[in-house]
Amino acid sequence: MRNNTCLIYSKNFGKRIALCLFLLPLWMLSSCDNNEDILPEIPTPYVFEEVKHFPTQLNIPHQNPTTVEGVELGRYLFYDGRLSGRDHPDSLMSCGTCHIQSQGFEVSINHLKFTDGHPFGLPTPDYPEGKKTPHMTMPLFNLVYNSSGYLWNGFIHESNGQAGMEGFEFMGHDDLNYKYLESLVWMAIVADHEIAGSIEQTVEMIASIDKYKPMFKAAFGSEEVNIDRISKAIAQFVRTLVASNFKFYKYVRHEVELNPSELRGYELFFSEEADCFHCHSGSLLMTTNDYYNNAKDTVFEDSRDRFAVTNNLMHTGAYRAPSLINCEINGPYMHDGRFKTLDEVIDFYSEGLVYSDYVDPLMKNVREHGVLLTDEEKSDLKAFLLTLTDNELLTNPAYGPPSDIGEYLAR
Amino acid sequence: MKRITGILILIASIFIGCDSATEQNGYGNLVLHFEHRVDNSAAAYDMMIYENAAGNNYEITEIQWFISDPILIEKDGGEWPLGADDWIHYIDTDIESSIRWEISEKIQTGEYTGIKFTFGIKGERNTPGIFNDPPESNMIWPYHMGGDEGGYHYMKLNGFWMKGEIERTPFNFHVGVGQLYDQENNIIGFVQNWFESAISVSGFDVKDAGVTELKIVMNIESWFTGPHVYDHEVYGGKIMNNQEAMGKIKENGNNVFTLEVYEE
Repeated sequence: MRNNTCLIYSKNFGKRIALCLFLLPLWMLSSCDNNEDILPEIPTPYVFEEVKHFPTQLNIPHQNPTTVEGVELGRYLFYDGRLSGRDHPDSLMSCGTCHIQSQGFEVSINHLKFTDGHPFGLPTPDYPEGKKTPHMTMPLFNLVYNSSGYLWNGFIHESNGQAGMEGFEFMGHDDLNYKYLESLVWMAIVADHEIAGSIEQTVEMIASIDKYKPMFKAAFGSEEVNIDRISKAIAQFVRTLVASNFKFYKYVRHEVELNPSELRGYELFFSEEADCFHCHSGSLLMTTNDYYNNAKDTVFEDSRDRFAVTNNLMHTGAYRAPSLINCEINGPYMHDGRFKTLDEVIDFYSEGLVYSDYVDPLMKNVREHGVLLTDEEKSDLKAFLLTLTDNELLTNPAYGPPSDIGEYLAR
Repeated sequence: MKRITGILILIASIFIGCDSATEQNGYGNLVLHFEHRVDNSAAAYDMMIYENAAGNNYEITEIQWFISDPILIEKDGGEWPLGADDWIHYIDTDIESSIRWEISEKIQTGEYTGIKFTFGIKGERNTPGIFNDPPESNMIWPYHMGGDEGGYHYMKLNGFWMKGEIERTPFNFHVGVGQLYDQENNIIGFVQNWFESAISVSGFDVKDAGVTELKIVMNIESWFTGPHVYDHEVYGGKIMNNQEAMGKIKENGNNVFTLEVYEE
């Protein structure tokens, strides 16, 4: 095939080569200029490292591929209290207010404001003290590996066919509504038990902050701020929160040994006697992410249980089994936070179960009120549970607040 | 005339031979459907309406199980093993898509009479860590109870029975690798409880470019009888560490499955 620029084997070879040498640099310069004008800045794809023994299927909607720039923007927004749409010190709230890194991205019972571990929203005329959340917070790590639904009842799921919020469309992606992590961002902004704000107010506030303009451009190609982009960026950041660096994981990989008590606890955990593993195992996520009525109650009045999602009567009083990674620090426990300590949880499964017609059959010891552990077995089981703490997650700066948010850091 | 007749017969036989060769070399598709029945009717869930051979009233909540290493049985007794990509399938009564298994490999055309498969997973294949994604990964069998050849449950059949005829009580009819215990209750060995099931019909064809659909039926009541009567009152709600119970289930399993040609 002939090259249009340089015809080497011709009669006027010398003249033509001279012309080529003259034109080529001009063509190259002009090409460079055109590229800068036409090509948008392309965000850098974020690479999720493969974690052995974790699921290989990642829950990432095709509408929101994860990028380095999107994750960084999401990290800022996650911790920026002005996500509330307000900048008064008493009205700051963002994801990081309740999902605290050092507490396994939960509230925990050590929270300065939510002293019993039960968060509440920003004050409103109807709730001057702030409205309590219907359920406890759930930890925000390893969510990228969960395709079984988010929230305690799995309401946020790909199969959810519900339309979005009334009068609101998801900025060109209304199919994201109630399906993916993205939905939880705008839901938190408008929920009266969380930020209790408005989408317009939040968008206006974030758009008014100069620092964010280049970050939005880097992540999404232009400086435009809208709720779609805010939700996408925060969801991207949350998907990168991975907890796999705990002692039991290292034991499975033959990198460390468990001490005798931890080892006995491990065998109890994975046995018919204590039988924790049927709901809290599968891969090393330490949860199936499935939904169970775990024999806590005989009367069911919560309108946000699994039944509310599936309309299956047998799902009455059922909730998602949370991951036990970091269970050492992220109490209070259960959907309503009824247990403050791990010891209370172990006691409950040992001798506190109550029968109802909706109890999951995996709770096979319910007629004996539990698995009836001895004190030594309880101690061993707790020792094993403490091997599930991932200190790297709790301290990794890449997951923590940016240093330059300053006074607007969500608390 | 004889010469002409001979030539015609030769030409005809060549054509017939060609057809036959084409048939032999053609390939069709196979789809396996799964149905769970009790007493010859489709299983009903979450209803205390069944009675097993031991006289236990029971209900079924869910069934989750593995079928592996399927082999089609040819009319002449030969075998057509399905390929490496189709070595295992997970069936879950709560996941509608799992009760239909479209075999990816093409099947050689011809007449077949049945299918042979492994209930569960053979020991050498049942290594821990082969599944990392749910729902299969949720079938994990504890390592210390199964070793290197006992990574996953073969089946979880969960439900309730009327304990003492009055108390609705959960049972987990879970089958996998069994253990042998010494007098101090230490595990000293493992027992493989997977088994092969060969089930047949009078015959079915796999046609060139066609789709052959079969139905594998699990007759649930048979888990509890033939040759052994399985009594929930004896074995209670959990059997993963009870080889006596799982051994009986394994032997009862020979009568659990039947095959049908699928009709919508």
